[in-house]
Amino acid sequence: MEKNSGGKRYRNDDITVYWKPSACVHASYCYRELIEVFDPSRRPWVDMNGASTEKIIEVVNLCPTEALAWKWNDETKNETIDNDQVNHIKFRRPELVGETGPVNQERPVSVKVMTDGPIVLKGNFKYTYNGITKVVEDSIVSICRCGVSDHMPFCDGKHRKIGFSG
Amino acid sequence: MEETKKDKTEATIELLDFGPIKISGNFVLKDLKRDIEETPGEVLLCRCGKSGNKPYCDDSHKK
Repeated sequence: MEKNSGGKRYRNDDITVYWKPSACVHASYCYRELIEVFDPSRRPWVDMNGASTEKIIEVVNLCPTEALAWKWNDETKNETIDNDQVNHIKFRRPELVGETGPVNQERPVSVKVMTDGPIVLKGNFKYTYNGITKVVEDSIVSICRCGVSDHMPFCDGKHRKIGFSG
Repeated sequence: MEETKKDKTEATIELLDFGPIKISGNFVLKDLKRDIEETPGEVLLCRCGKSGNKPYCDDSHKK
């Protein structure tokens, strides 16, 4: 059973895309790969008519967080989902389908330098800033790389506003 | 609070004051724009946006 919680939903005839803004770290795969569907400057920012279902699934699967997830509207198709569909709700938002998913422990730590965007750290690591040390497990932290975030040292998406290239 | 779980930390990350991000330990660095994938063990990455050698720090923040 789905709980009606945890963000917004967008549908086309085939799939539903789930959007959980609190989980977004501005890695920016979505709009960089598919601005026709994911346009942060538009309201609503997701237009499910902007591309084929296949393409939308492909790009949702690129999201490194649980901010974007998807499922087939035909529930029978959700029962046989391959592991490589990493952002299917079964894997990314198991709470939406009443499951407690396995904690995916990645090791080594993944450090991704996003195109014209932040550094996205993922895994089990310790980080220190302003004299504060935090130890996190299976977490994602997004670090500003453009130098103008209002929430230093973390990314707040401002790189897009200033047209950061780097 | 009294959990005795062992430390699973694989990498240590230091956000140096007014400087780069220093990453050391077991990590994989991927740069999507420049198609870099490496496991350097330790690296300093630019946080000021000014480096001429991105993603790495080149001390431009001091200028």
